[in-house]
Amino acid sequence: MILNASEVVMKIAYRLAILLVLSLSAATAFGEGLADKVQEYTLKNGMKLLMVPRHTSPTVAAWIRFKVGSVDERSDERGLAHLLEHMLFKGTTTLGTKDYAAEKPLLEKIEATAQQLMAEQSKGELADKAELARLTKDLDLLEKEAGKYVVKEEFADIYARNGGSGYNAFTSKDGTTYIINLPANKMELWAAIESDRMQHAVLREFYTEMKVVKEERRRSYEAEPEGKLWETFIADAFNAHPNGQPTIGWMSDINNLTRTKAERFLHKYYAPNNAIMAIVGDIDPQQTINLVEKYFGAIPPGTPVPPIAVEEPPQSGEKRTEVVGDAEPELMIGFHKPTLPAPDDYVFDVIDMLLTNGRTSRLYKKLVQEKQLATSVSAFSAPGSRYPNLFIIDASPRAPHTVSEVESAIYEELDRLKTEPMTDKELQQILNHLEFEESRQMVSNGGLARNLTEYEAVAGSWRYLIDHRQKVAQITAADVMRVAKQYFTRENRNVGFITKK
Amino acid sequence: MNSMKRLLFLAWSVALVAGCATTQGASTREAAPKESPAAQQKADPRTMSFPALKFEIPKSERVQLKNGMIVYLLQDHELPIVNLTAYLNAGSIYDPPGKVGLAALTGAALRSGGTLDTPPDQLDRELEFMASSIESSIGTDSANVSLTTLTRNLERTLALFGELMRKPAFDTSRVELARMHAIEGIRRQNDDPKGIANRELNMAIYPDHPLSRIPTLASVKAITREDMLNFQKRYFYPANTMIAVSGDFDREQMLKSLEALFAGWPNHPASFPVVPVPSEDKSAAVLHVQKEVSQSVIRMGHLGIDKNNPDLYALKVMDFILGGGFTSRLTQEIRSNQGLAYNVDSYFETGRRFRGPFIAETETKSETTVKATTLLRSIIAGMTLAEVSETELNLAKDSIINSFIFGFARSDAVVNQQVRLEFYGYPQGYLENYRDNIARVTRADVLRVARKYLHPDAMKLVVVGDQKKFDQPLSTFGSVREISLDNNK
Repeated sequence: MILNASEVVMKIAYRLAILLVLSLSAATAFGEGLADKVQEYTLKNGMKLLMVPRHTSPTVAAWIRFKVGSVDERSDERGLAHLLEHMLFKGTTTLGTKDYAAEKPLLEKIEATAQQLMAEQSKGELADKAELARLTKDLDLLEKEAGKYVVKEEFADIYARNGGSGYNAFTSKDGTTYIINLPANKMELWAAIESDRMQHAVLREFYTEMKVVKEERRRSYEAEPEGKLWETFIADAFNAHPNGQPTIGWMSDINNLTRTKAERFLHKYYAPNNAIMAIVGDIDPQQTINLVEKYFGAIPPGTPVPPIAVEEPPQSGEKRTEVVGDAEPELMIGFHKPTLPAPDDYVFDVIDMLLTNGRTSRLYKKLVQEKQLATSVSAFSAPGSRYPNLFIIDASPRAPHTVSEVESAIYEELDRLKTEPMTDKELQQILNHLEFEESRQMVSNGGLARNLTEYEAVAGSWRYLIDHRQKVAQITAADVMRVAKQYFTRENRNVGFITKK
Repeated sequence: MNSMKRLLFLAWSVALVAGCATTQGASTREAAPKESPAAQQKADPRTMSFPALKFEIPKSERVQLKNGMIVYLLQDHELPIVNLTAYLNAGSIYDPPGKVGLAALTGAALRSGGTLDTPPDQLDRELEFMASSIESSIGTDSANVSLTTLTRNLERTLALFGELMRKPAFDTSRVELARMHAIEGIRRQNDDPKGIANRELNMAIYPDHPLSRIPTLASVKAITREDMLNFQKRYFYPANTMIAVSGDFDREQMLKSLEALFAGWPNHPASFPVVPVPSEDKSAAVLHVQKEVSQSVIRMGHLGIDKNNPDLYALKVMDFILGGGFTSRLTQEIRSNQGLAYNVDSYFETGRRFRGPFIAETETKSETTVKATTLLRSIIAGMTLAEVSETELNLAKDSIINSFIFGFARSDAVVNQQVRLEFYGYPQGYLENYRDNIARVTRADVLRVARKYLHPDAMKLVVVGDQKKFDQPLSTFGSVREISLDNNK
């Protein structure tokens, strides 16, 4: 089981990115099916509600997506969206506490002490050792004192008692999502808890949770060679845009986050106008609307998330990222590209499937079956979807073949895309696959809730899912050649690889 | 249902009006509450009550084909998709000595190697053009071949599935490709510290047992295509096969197709290698693998229980309290109170054919390795010292009972679950009585099973990490055996 409050970083950035591409390319909708099934409702405070009634089982998947992610952090806030994701499991002024009035002054003392400690630590070598020791001890004592008022994990406790399943959350470059599956008779519980969390969150146990996040960082990025390659490769690919920052933050970023910063971020953005909800399962939409109005309708809107001004300048030459590690070689090749719903992004979806979807795909056939240089090859768009991103090809070389042999073989196939037109049969196979994926995405309540919140957030409307296949059907062999020529250039290329120590 | 709840229900069924709602899109319903939100009483999550949930365990239909094959069917016409999975009694526990990896390799090459009628390239092309998929794999104790297809391509996909079950070709080049991938997998098996720790713990709990053997370069190279063909002949026959099928199909037509597909497929007498029962080894052990990483991987455990153990239910409750999720003792203390780890949990893996393991796991920075290990052990030991609280007991039971329905949220999950119950020989009524059996568990039961099945002083401890940076030497826990990694260079 995933017991982690945040399947963040690698998972969202990378694995989910892979999923995303599958469903991106794939997931589009049930032409009529999905269009007929989704019911849409917008509250006066701007909160968007997407509902799909399905009565296969008396269960409901409820996803809440906030359209604020790690790209929206300032440089002194890196890692904050993710840390906040953890902190929003800690309760409210009424849940998670025995007596908030008594707890509150202690939380303020903790904050003051933690900030003093950070200020002293920031002096580095010149820091007063005795003062550091005193502040560390004070902080520890204060946290123990405040701990007396804490009702541990009360959200999780209440959801669990009521049969909740898959209680979790994740943060990405683009947003933060809170997930729960509940028995269908418990929807009012969900509304009561989640509306309370949206308005009255208390970021208690902040500095202990920071330690948890540092362990998460070690687990996903430092001790795992592939995670380290991923983080370094993405950081190197972006000179200017915050898409390059790790969602979890660098270790020194995490060390310097404070509850004050987190509350500022929270109160600004975690509001109904930045929220999208998908409720999929055994529901009556009218009743659901009434319930959501009752619990969320009076919550005031917050600040809309401002667009990021900085643009990634065109790359003027290949960048290579080497990670020397205690692991066998891995290779990633990324090209800058526009993001959805730009017309060229649909062409990349086609290219992705031509190159790596299945045993008949071009790169699999060439690299894995014919030349036997690699054991696997995949492609996806990452690290986020709100701003221009990368088309990434990922391969595992097969010994004794080297990263550079695999790299050359990939370039040969990319060059072929520039000169040999895609056949009608290839395009038809892609469309057949998309047709299947339109149904497959509806197999589970959670999967559909994921797609609805994701595309409503990053593409501006879940209807992206409905239009996708028709858009892909209009792509021509000439489009594929043009896009390949335009983007698959040496200047636009980022290459990352693990070299064994 | 309390009176407030009833009121709400009334309010719902009266259909209310707009007010603050903006509606968008053709599919949006005209909606919105008639009464003002302020007039509505909001519920307290700590005390609220709920209308009863209507739920019955969904049933699939069980049919035996003329050739003896068992088929479970569950129609579901919501989406134009059909899923089918075959289960055969075969697995790596039957791998002959010296050829460890045979089952896994056979599982990979079965699908990729094509059939006698349809060569591999053609099979790949045909399936992928239809957006159908067929995959095969052979695990510890079952072989699976499964298909997924759009309804309109069911007939052809099913025919190809039948070919793969009855006459796989094990095309030579595809066999060699599967072998190369297995070899590369072996070369990479020490890349991830968590993978190393999991493997070494399993080997320590099941020493010299088929459940812990892993393929080596030598064993994978020793496996021949002939071995795979023989493996398939030995284990693939109707009476050794069960099928789960769900989705958008017609029952009569499906049964007719399956009868036709597998007509004349011969049965033969069952012959399975004897696999010894894992032996109980109550000695503690401390194993260390040196890796220069900033975080240590900690795993500990010992032999646990199998599915026929009547204490299964009390152990499920104990598992939840000790190591199951955010509310567990391990997570609350090690993660939430002390910030020592991101991931910490424990569980009895219920063995299906043999006793499964009890495993506790976490990862912590090098400098708190011994501290976290000590804490983990003492929290486990704590379960054997005193009864759990009434609150803990009730939370565990409520959670297990109330979330039971999520096992039945998809028709493919329902039908596969029902096949697995028969395939592994679960007792009659296992599912039907599950919630009642959980409900009967008492605090005394939890303490009794903790004392009987947890052996905190007889655990195998595995730590993968950089011992130069540990807070204390691992020898705190006993004499340390160093494991050196053979990276097959």
